[in-house]
Amino acid sequence: MMNTDKIQALFGSQLVAVNIGPRLFGEALEKQHVEVVQVDWRPVAGGDKQMQELLAALGI
Amino acid sequence: MELYTVLQKDTYIDSLASLFTMSVLMDCEGIESAYAGMATASGRQTLEELGLADETVRGAGENDFVVAVRAASREAFEAAMAKAQKGGPAPAAQKPAFGTVQDAVRANPRANICSIAVPGEYACEVTKQALELGLHCIVFSSNVPLWQEREMKELAREKGLLCMGPDCGVANINGAAFVLSSINNRGPFGICGASGCGIQHVAAFLHEAGSGVSQTIGTGGNDLKEPVGGISMLMGIDALENDPDTQYLVLISRKPADSVLQALAGRIRLCKKPVVACFMGADRAVVEASGALWAGDLDGCAQQALSLIGKRIDFDSEEALDALARSAIEGMAPQQKYVRGIYCGGTYCDEVMQTMQEAIGGIHSNCPLLPGLRLADSRASVGNTVIDSGEEEFTRGRPHPTLEPSMRLPLIEKEAQDPQTAVILLDFILTPPEHIDPAGVTLRVLTKAMEDARARGGKLAVVCSVLGTDADLQNVTLQRQKLRDAGVYVCRSNRQAGQLAARIIQLKKERDEA
Repeated sequence: MMNTDKIQALFGSQLVAVNIGPRLFGEALEKQHVEVVQVDWRPVAGGDKQMQELLAALGI
Repeated sequence: MELYTVLQKDTYIDSLASLFTMSVLMDCEGIESAYAGMATASGRQTLEELGLADETVRGAGENDFVVAVRAASREAFEAAMAKAQKGGPAPAAQKPAFGTVQDAVRANPRANICSIAVPGEYACEVTKQALELGLHCIVFSSNVPLWQEREMKELAREKGLLCMGPDCGVANINGAAFVLSSINNRGPFGICGASGCGIQHVAAFLHEAGSGVSQTIGTGGNDLKEPVGGISMLMGIDALENDPDTQYLVLISRKPADSVLQALAGRIRLCKKPVVACFMGADRAVVEASGALWAGDLDGCAQQALSLIGKRIDFDSEEALDALARSAIEGMAPQQKYVRGIYCGGTYCDEVMQTMQEAIGGIHSNCPLLPGLRLADSRASVGNTVIDSGEEEFTRGRPHPTLEPSMRLPLIEKEAQDPQTAVILLDFILTPPEHIDPAGVTLRVLTKAMEDARARGGKLAVVCSVLGTDADLQNVTLQRQKLRDAGVYVCRSNRQAGQLAARIIQLKKERDEA
């Protein structure tokens, strides 16, 4: 059995949710009175695979 | 057909909102094809592949939103754009957003959970970033390689954080319904499951019986496969066992891998709280030897769980279904012989085929139970057929039918026009994000289909179930009533809808052969 302290802490806390991706899912949480922080996610380098690999290799 | 494009510079519209726009455009008269999305490198490549790229598209940058439409005329294009803009997002009214999860957490240090819906190829990287920042994660993204899923879950385990998913659409944490979950009352049952639809099904029955859930932890559909090893479910059991608000555990999955079932059985044996296990298709003896209460299907799982608090669900008896089926076949024409199901939920699609095949034989499908029953063309039904309209072949360029029920309307219309169709069989799944009235949207087509069948001298039976709760924004009771008022047979559960549909087909056959 693993230590579940962090999970128990979550169960005992007020949720503050980061929503990465479609806003619809964040808005649905807001309708339920959950505090939501939106991240408008976009692929690094506009989805250009070659550029992403180069950036990853440079540690960016 | 002419190509028309519109560019909105420095405007961010997310992928799901883009899909809704695209869906509206494609349904407009005089539109051959359409694309809406950010002009990223991959977006521009898709536009090239679809033959929808022009100089405007090629000159667009990754911060620009583009709409490209091949239309019969400028008027058709403008009418379609006006329609799309009417229901579309208003960027100016959107609340501020961050560009990265790091920035979001830096500005909001109380953040404790993260809902992730990015394309599958990026899910692992984004999830690991969120876990590194100490956030519990719910990952809706699908098509993530199993080795990456394992990597994400091992990191979560190392950090003592929950990693629900990838491919997790249902999680209810502290009473909040994430992604596609129904809104449920809170109560003593902690559910951990690898089937979102299964979790939602059992939780809805608990809610209806006046009980509820402490937490529901989705693991994603692949968690109990060998390469992932059930990491999330084993952590979920630990968490629920230690949770003072959870008195009973309910575990739900399609058949786990043998080695994972053994690990789960070993863990259940040590659990200090009562466990109901619904591992559909798994070896009953192994499950029962673990000390868990066995459930063979989702209805049985809800029933077993409720038995722990002295309650039970009154499902319709065989006699009651028989009486309904007899009244349904009155007035059907001789050529009406088959059931045609158009489903939103993958688990429900499987369950209904399993239920019906016992009575009426193999069911054809785009996702059949046996390879020999696969439809050559998913849009051309054969005999008794149930299709999963949530499969990629139907959802390409459109939101999932659970979020956008109108995408299955043409499929329903087509089946209803077939004079051989006796029963239209449907599932409705309510979710907080959308759609606010799936029954109402679908009834427009169903009512006409029933009228048309009568005009042809026959009668069409429409059978369905509605999954949700009266706490859902759509209110399951109102949705069911709306369907009943229109003459639809609304069953207690999806399994019962399958039983009724199969009974109608059986009785009709007997009558035709008499």
